Amino acid sequence: MKARDIFSYSFSAIRLRKLRAGLTTLGVVIGIAAIVALLSVTQGLQNTITNQLETGLATDTLIVVPGRGFFSEGGTSIGGGFGVGGSDFKLFINDTEIINSLSLDIETSVAIIRKNVYLQSQEQSLVVTIRGVDFAKYAEIYHTTFVADKGTINLNPANDEIVIGKALHDPWENGTLLFNLGEELEIIWTNTTARPPENVSYTGRVTAVLQEIGGFGVGGPSDVGVYIPLEQAQHFFGTEECDTIIVKLKTSERDVINAVSEAITDAYGGEVSVVTSTAVLNIINRVFSVIQLFLAGIAAISLLVAGIGIMNIMIVSLIERTREIGILKALGMKNRTVLMIFLGESVIIGLIGAVLGIGAGWALANVVAVVFSEGGLFGGIASGQSAQISNGGLTIVPVLTPTVLVGALIFGVGVSVIFALYPAWRASKLKPVEALRYE
Amino acid sequence: MAPLVEAIELKKTYMLGKVPVEALRGVNLKVESGEFLAILGPSGSGKSTMLNMLGALDKPTSGKLLIDGIDIATLNDNQLSDLRRRVGFVFQFFNLIPRFTARENVELVMSIADVGKAERRKRAEELLEAVGLKDRMNHKPTELSGGQQQRVAIARALANNPKFLLMDEPTGNVDSKTAREIMNLIKRLNEERGVTIIMVTHDQHLAREAKRVVQMFDGVITSDVVNGEPT
Ligand SMILES: Nc1ncnc2c1ncn2[C@@H]1O[C@H](COP(=O)(O)OP(=O)(O)OP(=O)(O)O)[C@@H](O)[C@H]1O
Ligand SMILES: [Mg+2]
Repeated sequence: MKARDIFSYSFSAIRLRKLRAGLTTLGVVIGIAAIVALLSVTQGLQNTITNQLETGLATDTLIVVPGRGFFSEGGTSIGGGFGVGGSDFKLFINDTEIINSLSLDIETSVAIIRKNVYLQSQEQSLVVTIRGVDFAKYAEIYHTTFVADKGTINLNPANDEIVIGKALHDPWENGTLLFNLGEELEIIWTNTTARPPENVSYTGRVTAVLQEIGGFGVGGPSDVGVYIPLEQAQHFFGTEECDTIIVKLKTSERDVINAVSEAITDAYGGEVSVVTSTAVLNIINRVFSVIQLFLAGIAAISLLVAGIGIMNIMIVSLIERTREIGILKALGMKNRTVLMIFLGESVIIGLIGAVLGIGAGWALANVVAVVFSEGGLFGGIASGQSAQISNGGLTIVPVLTPTVLVGALIFGVGVSVIFALYPAWRASKLKPVEALRYE
Repeated sequence: MAPLVEAIELKKTYMLGKVPVEALRGVNLKVESGEFLAILGPSGSGKSTMLNMLGALDKPTSGKLLIDGIDIATLNDNQLSDLRRRVGFVFQFFNLIPRFTARENVELVMSIADVGKAERRKRAEELLEAVGLKDRMNHKPTELSGGQQQRVAIARALANNPKFLLMDEPTGNVDSKTAREIMNLIKRLNEERGVTIIMVTHDQHLAREAKRVVQMFDGVITSDVVNGEPT
């Protein structure tokens, strides 16, 4: 029998039981839609996060933090900013000189003192992470992001100067200002190492507002950052220690990055971790692959349920059509053709289900993305009395990769066909005389 | 040349639960190509069972059945299908496919035999016209009378130009006038086109139209008469 005739025969059998076929197809639609929606949303989220990180992480910079890395990646430890504790080792501000001397590929390095403080104006009080940095060097390393939108960043600043990120100035982008240029702000720090703990404070002045950066600003400037001169920070916090040293390389070649990372780690006997942007991105990508696999797995279960539905319905249909199959075989139809007719029915159901499912999943992904982006799961700024500022809203644009598209199609049809194999095989093995006698 | 059909001590036993039912108890029969043979016999005598064997729908329990000199017991499912395509079969209970119209039912056998679409349609219409169903072509079996369904079944059996026609009571459900017409059609096929015909019937009168009449009783052949002369 010709393929087209087999197909149209399958189709006529499906049309006979429209409601039943429709419900079976719905099972496939739901399964495929779940897979497509979950994968395209997570892919969109991954892209967003990767983009934001790429904005924040210059590829030619390394971040050195005290503490052993919690896992390694190509000889480079990842840690510090990603939460490593347990080490007493401290970095000092003048370690920048030691680091600079380790390799000719290093252009410069800058130490950062980081503390959580209250930032207080007449009306507002916020907990912020303040960073003491050498304005001149920091601006040199981050020459695209540590740039004033309003006011000026003095390369040789007075002690009371404060540079704030865009989100601390105009978070809602509607003219309602949080802290303004030229405003005097009180910086209050609780020294918990003093006994009893004491509050110290000084009054500074906003001399610059950074232009909008976007991204998470790992290591680099961020929209929620507050920057004061390094010497002022040293003096105010009474410390020679620093939390992070940012190292700027002359190139962003992978070999150089690895060699310098290793040199730094070795120089400190493994007591520091060096974070590179590529390593961070690799980890993010790996984490996302696991998440995607996990989510797709869950969604795949619903498709398996649909598959069992298909099998069930095919067995019912096989029993109902026993006599019909007997006729077909008595008229000389081959076993293989009977098999193909049944599989054809499952291909039609799987194909229609997969196509509708991809459409439905894509629509769902877009709805989820909008809710996700606007609903403030990540976005929004909590403000008010001693509130912590979070990042600006993340916008997720769902992505349907060709792999997911083709995969969903193949998977939908594949599951349908696999679950139809057994009923189809049974149909093909029916004996004509017995089937013809079946009532 | 080997006879078209040769049955040697053909036996068929069905199991009804644990009780064996001997439908055929040793049938010996030779049919040459071009014969027109009627099988007569009371209900339950094994006529349909015999016809199913001849149409390669079923395999014997013991004994031999040679079709064109080939023992059907040695054929696999695929070869049996090929054989069935070359045989025109009119079932006792029509066995039309309910969701297809008369024309589609006739076309189906041709599509199984890989006949092209245009050719299928043309031939189905010719055949249905020949059995007097020109104006019923687009009706489904449920919209047809028993006799009309029977005629669709005959048209279907003829669709692939078989050289061998097996008919289980082809006139069982029609009035005597239609029965005559069908008999004439069958006779013409036999005389003009040399189609070998084996026809099961209850009707003594119709059986007389055949050149050879075989009587069955209780699973065996009790008489075999050619042109009125016992063999
Ligand atoms: N599949 C089967 N299972 C069990 N018994 C069967 C089966 N097919 C036929 N028989 C039995 O075999 C015997 C012969 O049946 P068959 O159908 O060949 O009779 P028949 O001569 O065609 O009768 P009728 O004229 O009523 O059609 C009957 O006793 C019947 O009950
Ligand atoms: Mg019978």
